Parts: sequence; C-alpha cells; structure tokens
Amino acid sequence: MGQRLPLLILLLWALAALLAGMDALEPDRIQLELILAPPWEAGGLGYDDLGRPLLDRVIAGARTSFWVALWVVSLSAVAGTLIGSVSGYLGGWTDRMIVHVIDIFLAFPGILLAIALAGILGPGIGNVVIALSLVGWVGFARLARAQVLSLKQREHVVAAIALGSRRRRIILRHLIPLLSAPLIVEATFGVASIVIAEAGLSFLGLGVQPPAASWGSMIRDGTRYLLVAPHMVLVPGTAMLLVVLAVNLLGDRLRDRMDVRLR
Amino acid sequence: MRRWRLLLLLTAVLLSSACQSPDPELIRLGIAGRPANLDPLHATDAASARVNRLLYRSLVDFDAQQQPVPELARWERLTPTRYRFHLDPGRAPFHDGQPLNAADVVATYRAVLDPATGSPHRGLLSLIEQVEAVDTDTIEFQLNRPDRLFPGYLVIGIVPARLLAQGHDFQRAPIGSGPLELIERGGDGQLWLRRRRDGQQLVVQQVKDPTVRVLKLRRGELDIIQNDLPAELIRYLDGREGIRIERHRGSNFSYIGFNLEDAQTGDPRLRRALAHAIDRGAIIEHLLAGAARPAGALLPPGHWAGHPELDGVDYDPDRARALLGELGYGPQRPLELSYKTSSDPLRLRIATVLQDQLARVGIRLRLQSYDWGTFYGDIKAGRFQLYSLMWVGIRTPDIFRHVFHSASLPPGGANRGRYRDARIDAWIESAEAAQTQTAQVTYYRRIQARLLETLPYVPLWYEDHVCAARADIHGYRLNLHGNYDGLLEVQRR
Repeated sequence: MGQRLPLLILLLWALAALLAGMDALEPDRIQLELILAPPWEAGGLGYDDLGRPLLDRVIAGARTSFWVALWVVSLSAVAGTLIGSVSGYLGGWTDRMIVHVIDIFLAFPGILLAIALAGILGPGIGNVVIALSLVGWVGFARLARAQVLSLKQREHVVAAIALGSRRRRIILRHLIPLLSAPLIVEATFGVASIVIAEAGLSFLGLGVQPPAASWGSMIRDGTRYLLVAPHMVLVPGTAMLLVVLAVNLLGDRLRDRMDVRLR
Repeated sequence: MRRWRLLLLLTAVLLSSACQSPDPELIRLGIAGRPANLDPLHATDAASARVNRLLYRSLVDFDAQQQPVPELARWERLTPTRYRFHLDPGRAPFHDGQPLNAADVVATYRAVLDPATGSPHRGLLSLIEQVEAVDTDTIEFQLNRPDRLFPGYLVIGIVPARLLAQGHDFQRAPIGSGPLELIERGGDGQLWLRRRRDGQQLVVQQVKDPTVRVLKLRRGELDIIQNDLPAELIRYLDGREGIRIERHRGSNFSYIGFNLEDAQTGDPRLRRALAHAIDRGAIIEHLLAGAARPAGALLPPGHWAGHPELDGVDYDPDRARALLGELGYGPQRPLELSYKTSSDPLRLRIATVLQDQLARVGIRLRLQSYDWGTFYGDIKAGRFQLYSLMWVGIRTPDIFRHVFHSASLPPGGANRGRYRDARIDAWIESAEAAQTQTAQVTYYRRIQARLLETLPYVPLWYEDHVCAARADIHGYRLNLHGNYDGLLEVQRR
C-alpha cells in the first residue's frame, strides 16, 4: 500500500482535474448562512468566507493546478530540450550565446522572475502558464545540452554524420530519444515545483481571478480567517502537500529506476 | 547534555523577550490606516482628519444632528455674505505656549486660499472673498455669494501665523492648539501623543492586518482597536474574557454608482431592477455581522437635513425579473454589466455576493477589482459602468451640489456618473438660496426623495463603528463619525 499511495494520490489529482467541469460540482455556489462553517458542523470539507463548499473548490483548484502543471511542463520541456540539444550539438558561438542566456536566467531566482513576468503580463491563468514556461525551459535546456555534449561523441552519431544525415534528423532521431530518461525525471520534479509556483502566484493575486478557484488563492483567502476558521487554509494546504509529496516520491522512484549506475 | 542546556537557555531568552509586558502608563489605539498627513492645510484622508482634529482646533464643529456649533469661535451673520467670528476667550494656547489670536485664523485661511499652498480644501472655501482680523479676538469673512451652510465649512485646524510665515513643516512637527500634542513618531507609523489636560500618554499605531490587530489586543500590546474588522473577528472577540466590544451607529454611506451616459445603465428602469435584486439584509447580517443599517439617502436620517422616512429600495427579485423582462432581457438574452471595486478583501467579498444575487435575476456581473489608486482614478475620471464606494465624513448638505448638480461634472465636482436632472439642479439652488433652515430642510428632503426615485446611486447602508477594548480601559466612546475623540476621555483603571 505504501508503495502505491503516491500513485493513488496522483490518479485522484488527475481524476479531480477531469471531473471538475461536471455540473454536479458547485465551487461558486454562495450560501451566506454557511459562511466559515467548519467540516464537523456543516459536513464535507467545510465552507469558505462566502459559504462556498471547500470540497468542490479543492476539486476545482485541482483542475487549475493540474492543467497549469501539464501545460508548463510540456511547453518548457519541448522548448528547453530543443534549444539545449541544438546548442550542444552545434557548439561554437551559438552555444556560447545560448549558455549566456541560460546563465542569465539561472542568476535570477525563478519565482521572482515569474512574479515579474506575471506582473507585466497581467493577472490571468494563461499568463501564469506563459510566465512559468518562460522560466521553466532553462532547466531542461541545461540538462539537454550537457547530455548532448557527451552523446554526440557516440559511434552511432558519428556514423550518422558519416552517412550524411541532416542535423535535424540527427538531433531528433539519434540524440533526443537518448535524452528522455533524465528529462522525464526533470519533468516530474518540474511538476511539483510548478504546482507550488502556481499556488504562489495565485496567492499573490497574479493567478486565477475570482471567483475561479486555485489552491493558492484559497490559501490566501484563508489566511485572513486563520484565527476563526483554520480549515480554510488547512484543506487546500493539505491537498497541495499531498500532491507535491506524491510527485516528488514518484520522481525519486523513477530516477532510481532509470539510473543505470544505481542498478 | 550541554547542547540541551544551550537550547533551553535560548528558548528562555526568546520567551522572555517575547513576553515583555507593555508599559502600563500608555494607552495604545490600533487602527488599520496610517494617518498620512498631519498638516491640516493638506490632509484629506479620513485617518489623518481624525488625528488632526485632536491636534488642532477649528473654528466650528458639529453637534449630533450635524448642525455647526461653535468650537473656537461663535459667529454672527452680519449680512448674507458677511460673517463675524468671536474667538472663545478661554481658548487654549498653541502647543509651543504662544497664544492663539485672530491673526492666526486669518493667516491659516489665507494660506488655504493661496493657490501657491496647493491646499485641496481651497475649492470648497473659494466662496471666501476676504478674511480679516478686526481685533485680536474677532475675525470677519466676506463671501462672494450667500451660503447659509458657510460656518460648517470652517473646520480646518488653525495653525500659528508665525510658523506659517517661516514655512514650518506641520506634517513633520504638528503644532496646533488641540487637546493632544505630538511627542514623537515611532517606527511602523506610530504616533506618540500627550493629553494636555492630564499628561496621559497615548499611542496611535497602524496595524494593517486585522488578525494581527486582534491578537495584539488579546496579548495586551494594544488596548483599543477600532473599525476595519471582518464580521468573523468581531464575533470571535465578542464575549471573550477581558475584552469589551462597543458599537455605534455610523454615517459612512455605502452605495452603488452608475454611469448614466452608458446605454444600459442610463435607463432608470434597469437601475431599479438592479436595486430590487440586491438583498441588503442578507449582506448586512452575514458579511457585516449586523453592524450596519440600511440606507435610503446620502445623509443619515438623524442629520438635520436628512430624510427620516427613506430606507432604500426593497429586495424584490420577482419585481426585478419583471422589470428586466419589460426591457427585453431574459434567460435567452441575459444582461451583462461590469462592476468596478477596490481590491480590499471585504469590498471584494461584498462584490462577489452581489454578483451572486444579481445572477439570480439574470444579471451577469463582471467584477473588476483594482488596487485603490487605479480604482479611484477610474471612478473620478468616469471610467466605469457600475461601481461601489463609500462617502466618508459627510457633514454638510452642500454634498448634493458636489455630487448631483449637473454643473459638478468632474474634474470640477464629484458628479462622476454624469447625472443631469433639471428638478434636482433647481432644488439644490433653491436650498442654497433659502433664507430659513426650515425651507432648506424641505428642499433637501425633496432632493433625497427624488434621488431615490431616479436612482443615480443605489443606496446600500451606513456601516456601524465597532471598537474592542481591554477590560481595564474605560471612557473610550465611539461616535457617529468613527473618529478618535474617545482618546480625550479614555482612562486605564
């Protein structure tokens, strides 16, 4: 059971994300008489500062974080891998330029850059995805470049060059498939950090706009009532904790399995 | 073992520093907003005005019905455009020991009227043609047009003429003749004050977060907290040992404003439908913890020019739906409106509930919340379809000219919705020209009834003032305006 628990949590998360569009859920239904009602009095996971059911809102928030994580990881993995492998393969001044850009991005704390970008782009979930992707590609690019630098010396690549294959074909067919293992591990950890980053941006009011739900904005709303209704923070906080922990545990396990040196 | 001992020592040090008991000689008041400007010639925000009225004295103050009453001076109307003020012979000197004379009053008002000073109060006082001292105790004001409300405009704190001439920075070192004087400023926007009557030291301190304010009160780091508390925290404090809650009816008027030049909100039937769709009772009960009373007009019923019978538009969703139906809106063609509000959590919460209530009759409200500066800028410039705001500290009925007269369109006035009604204009002018107060009252009541009929504003409520004090604090009284006058009587026993 202990082995499967993280997987179960992730499945629940994905399921919640898919189910959140259902009509049976009413994350925005306001019932003034249930304002701040705790779970043990009103059932479910309790109610928030407008009398909206927290269970429904956590599920709606799961959808927000799930899709943001999916989009950001996909966008930054594709962009980062391409940029990184091209840079590593071509070498020369192209490589030097890209390395400098990567270094500049890495010099900033990622979340700070994301906050600045989201601030410039304006609030909204689409802009959060853009901001986080603009920050997120760097990790993938650095990893892909380092891998390509060592992989391009391998015989099959040398053979492909000797046979006159095009660069595009070499990068896409002979290099990137070999990169996938470390990139998948990077992507898994990326999911965890993006869930937290999205919550952080929504906490600052740069993410989803009311009345839409996000775990981050739910926690922000809850902090004002921490003294009288701690469940408003505990419920989304626990959901986020479980998801991030599960993703990290699975990422660890994946790394162990894929790392040849540990076998 | 040694490591444990070290840890124990560290904990002890931390605990002892955290439990420092506050100075019992001090009485500390915690508020949400920082009094930004202690210069009475320039201050406009509510928190500053509330502190300034204790640091400085003005010629005139108001009684419970908001009638102007003598404060520093009693007055006589020589002609409709000439007023003579006699300074109270028993008046207190300035904080620096110098006496307050007619020359100081004249210098203060001349400074306000001087365009070079850049005082925001100049507009209201522009009817003053001339102000001069007759002798050390008497001042005369010559007006360029008659206005019976004139004495009520003279609420600016009097500052010493000598310091004014030297270009003294009153914001840094306020010197007035009020019952409190500033000793020093602490960090975090603290003001250390001394009560001149008995030397009692007082601290007015900004604590932004309401939860932190409540916790500081419970721990004894604050003795009194006033206003800006969410309903849940008031309930949390109510009945808690060692804490006393006091409430007082307020006069701050919350409303929804419309842009009357907009094709949709320009239609009075649509405005009425929207007003019928709002369940004010539920909002007052659940979001404001019952600490508000429904409003029907800008001036509260107890005001001398207020209307005693208006209490707003009833909650009647069926009537709202019927009216919308007449206008051609319905489930197939829902009405969509955009609503601007500030990003203050309580305002946003109220906006979300309004959105929900209006959705029930088929009005889709798009909420746009902005930080205060952007929001207020948009409202003042007339960039809105619907918005919600509050009038704070309204005392004289000249507000009707300022807000509803067709000649008061921004930037000259605050007719932000661009309301134009010939009858209202005529009544405002008649009220101003009326020779007796009874006649004025008749016109002002007519104006308020007509405003409720035509609905340039949907009146919502007057929020109560709430304060919570520790049990050993006595004599802190709230009043209609939510000012800090209670500091003048407060004692620790």
